[in-house]
Amino acid sequence: MKRSLKINDEIKNSVIKYIAAFLAVIVIGSMLILLQGENPFNAFREIYKGALGTKISFGSSLRYAMPCILVGIAASIAFKAGIFNMGVEGQLYFGALVAAVVGYSYKFPPIIHIFLCLLAAGLAGLMYAFFPAILKLFFNVSELITTLMLNFMAKLLTEYITMWWIGHGVSNLGSNAIATPKIYDSAVLPNLIKGTSASYGIIIAVLIALVVAIFYKYTIKGYELKQVGENLKFAKIGGVNAKSSFVSIFLLSGFIAGISGGVEVLGSYFRFTAQFASNMGWDGIMIAFIANKNPIAIVLVSFLWGALKAGSLNMERLTSLNKLTVNILLMLFVLFVSVDYKVLFKEIQSIFKKGSVGG
Amino acid sequence: MSDILLAMISPIVFAGTIRIATPLIIGAVGGCFTNRAGTFIIAYECFMLTSAFFATWGSYMTGSAIGGSLIGIIACIVMGIIFGMLVFHYKADALIISIALNFGAWAITTLLLQSIFGARGAFISEKIISYDQIHLPFLDGLPFITTVFNDKIILVYLSYVIMFIGYIVMYKTTFGLRVRGVGINPTAAETAGVNLLKYKWVTLLIMSVLTGLAGSYIPLSGVSMFTENMTSGRGFLCLAAVLVGQGNPIKAGLIALLFAYTDALFLTLTSFELPTQLLSTMPYFAVIIVLLVNGIKEHKMLARVS
Repeated sequence: MKRSLKINDEIKNSVIKYIAAFLAVIVIGSMLILLQGENPFNAFREIYKGALGTKISFGSSLRYAMPCILVGIAASIAFKAGIFNMGVEGQLYFGALVAAVVGYSYKFPPIIHIFLCLLAAGLAGLMYAFFPAILKLFFNVSELITTLMLNFMAKLLTEYITMWWIGHGVSNLGSNAIATPKIYDSAVLPNLIKGTSASYGIIIAVLIALVVAIFYKYTIKGYELKQVGENLKFAKIGGVNAKSSFVSIFLLSGFIAGISGGVEVLGSYFRFTAQFASNMGWDGIMIAFIANKNPIAIVLVSFLWGALKAGSLNMERLTSLNKLTVNILLMLFVLFVSVDYKVLFKEIQSIFKKGSVGG
Repeated sequence: MSDILLAMISPIVFAGTIRIATPLIIGAVGGCFTNRAGTFIIAYECFMLTSAFFATWGSYMTGSAIGGSLIGIIACIVMGIIFGMLVFHYKADALIISIALNFGAWAITTLLLQSIFGARGAFISEKIISYDQIHLPFLDGLPFITTVFNDKIILVYLSYVIMFIGYIVMYKTTFGLRVRGVGINPTAAETAGVNLLKYKWVTLLIMSVLTGLAGSYIPLSGVSMFTENMTSGRGFLCLAAVLVGQGNPIKAGLIALLFAYTDALFLTLTSFELPTQLLSTMPYFAVIIVLLVNGIKEHKMLARVS
């Protein structure tokens, strides 16, 4: 009885927290928009229209939510186990490149082709995560910094490979874009809703999130991995092999990050373009934290994230505002959500008490 | 091949190293203090980018480079206070706050660039006054050294002074001792009567000021312009220097110099028609190599002990 009450309290607290953060973001965001000389109602209406207003805009919300779910899951798996995998972005880049290469250079029957592309993308991400994992395991090199550096390197290396190995030093898409050829139709993820940019990738992403949720909740291995993150000593005494858990989590995180790159290529871009995804890795980490590393919550937060992205594009088109305004709103949301409201409430209470004593 | 080797030790490369290293050294020395005080902060990119923008604005408004730097530093302190309030006071997760601030700083500076200067992407103006180069006449006679060290702006020379002062403060003063104590064992430090929060705040402010100064170097070192996401990963190199140097200002400074050297090589080696993308990975690659060498060394030491 007492326990259920406590859980209810926690849920109540976190709901209050999210609502408070949301309201604060709306208020501060409105002020920001006013400062830029635009009507906040107009701006929010355009965001809403661009995100959910029509079938097409709903589709593009789904399209932007798709990679967010996967990078969020990739980040949450690592952070749950106490691994600072900042390298989601790098793993995503290699996944995307390999998916594109498999997509345009071989011909397979449709569904098998998609499966092979995604598998190759996942393996590429896994390989790219393998390196920092080994460095940490054998030489105790902080994965935080190696993965960060590998992110920068991944962007440059994939650009190098596309330009010099695939494009032979010249770009085939005009002067600016460094890109691979288009993938075969058999590798393209079909549209989920006709006439929109939403593809079956969103289904794949949600399925992966579900599998991860079930894995953590109902399997022994999942329980062990969770223990490693929560209390390493306890896990070791309980007979968990911390080293092999560490490597398998790191690789799994890289695998899913790679798939997210693959899904982006197969579902949205149809080719690998150099520097195509800016900040996806950071998005993933922020989503994972907002959702408190819960796979189902990650799906929900990702939909919000995708809707805001789609909405921000519409807002930029129809008002004088820059789409980066939405990035500031997202930053504020993260800042407000991560605050411990108990401290804040206590402070507010003490101010009121002081006020009443003084008055 | 021998051309390339000669180019690698040419004075131009070293002059480039000195130029590129300055913000890295200053930022890294600042980061050493928060690192040693046990604050987990990776918002270097946010601090430096914010400061770079406000330094540009300050220089544009006041017409002096020092004014620009001061305004940049003030903006950076504001960012530091936001971080400190959220992390120290409201118990938010330092990592996620850092990431959100890095994420937001890009958007904030780009939007400000648009609304203040009405420029998209980049803003160049003659009214942005850079620091003047200082000519040291006594170096004129020395051929190699004069190209490397002469005719630089004041911040370049200042960065080495800051590095040594940082070292002295960290290792030769009570303040430094307490900072290190707070980082190594907060509970013990607190029992010994050290005010944890005070040391966390002071080190955070030191870092804000120094990363602010480092950020202001970037637009005011002669280019007199601000571009979107101008720091482009320099903050993360600072962080790497701090972590590799384990919070020792001189070590971190030397590591920063090494990263700057690999970056400077890039500019020289592009003239040999080597792929630019591969060359630009060099500083990041250097970070990993240094970490690996460090790791192997420690690994061997541990093996010997056991």
